Amino acid sequence: MEMRHDNVGDVRRVVLVGRLDTAGVDVVETRFGAAIVPNGKNTIVDLSGVTFLASMGIRMLISTTRALSRKGGRLVMFGATPGVHDVIETAALTDIIPLASSENDALGLVG
Amino acid sequence: MEDGQTRVMTFARSANFTLEDRAHCLELIEGHDAGHRFIVGPAGVSIGRTAPADIVLADSEVSRSHCRLSLENDNILTVTDLNSTNGTFIDGVRISHPTAMPVGAVLRVGRQSLKHEWRTHREILQHDEFDRDIAKARSYVEALLPHPIGEGPFKTEWLYEPCSKLGGDAFGYGALSPTQIMLYMMDVSGHGAGAALHSVAVMNLLRQRALPNTDMSDPAQVLAALNHMFPMQDHAGMYFTLWYGIYDTASRQMRYASAGHHPAFLVPPDRSRAIGLRTRCAPVGADPGTRFSAATADIPPGASLYLFSDGVFEFVTRDGVEWGLNDFIPRLQRPRVEGLTESRRLFREVRRLAQPGGLDDDFTLLVLTFD
Repeated sequence: MEMRHDNVGDVRRVVLVGRLDTAGVDVVETRFGAAIVPNGKNTIVDLSGVTFLASMGIRMLISTTRALSRKGGRLVMFGATPGVHDVIETAALTDIIPLASSENDALGLVG
Repeated sequence: MEDGQTRVMTFARSANFTLEDRAHCLELIEGHDAGHRFIVGPAGVSIGRTAPADIVLADSEVSRSHCRLSLENDNILTVTDLNSTNGTFIDGVRISHPTAMPVGAVLRVGRQSLKHEWRTHREILQHDEFDRDIAKARSYVEALLPHPIGEGPFKTEWLYEPCSKLGGDAFGYGALSPTQIMLYMMDVSGHGAGAALHSVAVMNLLRQRALPNTDMSDPAQVLAALNHMFPMQDHAGMYFTLWYGIYDTASRQMRYASAGHHPAFLVPPDRSRAIGLRTRCAPVGADPGTRFSAATADIPPGASLYLFSDGVFEFVTRDGVEWGLNDFIPRLQRPRVEGLTESRRLFREVRRLAQPGGLDDDFTLLVLTFD
């Protein structure tokens, strides 16, 4: 599991790559939270490189979104592959975290 | 011999160690005997289906004298196949000559997978003690699961195979009134002891029908009550998915609601369709603002209802392909197999398709067949 992050204007952009399962979350969770929560910036998360999303990955996304929300920031996901999109839909995750189809749409939602 | 019910007989831990001496070990990583550990002493060990093999695996796919493990140059664990019928595999590759087996590699013999570990005797003793405690905890979880039902307005059978020694899956069913049957399937995020503790807390509430101020015959109310009682921020960040239904034996209707869970599937007797039963709601504990809804389905005579956790269909195949729910649904519609329960048939299919070395997630599948 890999993670990169940078800024697009005032928005934090985080890119996740790999399997977001128990092992993947173990590798990336601390850095994921640290990259997003402390500065409270609105954040977009690129899921286009995520090949599998398990319950632990969903838990990480929800927990981080909650923590960011307490700082006044919003988190939006985008770029989910069909398999990951199915998991997100099954879990009704979009009731909690918005999912955009593209980076531009995600930026529009947090902007 | 059924998958996952292999009886294991083994030789005694014969080697003499000091506590800090390291030993090569093989640990079973699947099935009811997962965690059982064999020490490979200086003289090596043989594996087979019957004595005089040192490690006896009562598995019909294991040859009488299947393979031998020895310690070769500089204490390297080496595996030699003894012309077994079904072959010996290291990390999925069939061996044709004596082959070194690195620490962490998985040996596949018949339906058994054994992982190579390199442990001190102190670690082995500590691990054994921990395993005994976990085994007690697992026995407790399994004691909470309902007995299969063989007669009445519906029959039930199920299979529960945690991927680790304790899992976060749980299910149950039972009478709510003379004409109402309650049933559910839940899956706590993650695996292991924490997830198991969480599932046990919920199971006991549902078993006792003990949700406060809640009409247990109203699935949406039940989900809302649990969502209120188990917010993830108060439970170590854990949420759970749940499918909950009430079957009315008089009206032959199922009232159901689901939270973050994939559908249960209703398969008519002609097996022409697999009808998904689901309401779209967030998982329990994930969001205090979730509004839960319920729906109703008619149950045709002779139909079967399949409830399962996501570990049943989320796995990587031997070809490296990520499987998903849409790949699994057609398997539900396949014909029943004489002499096999449906849960066992589907488990065998998944095991056959999945990469060797055990499933990554808990496999829990409950089948109800209606009169």
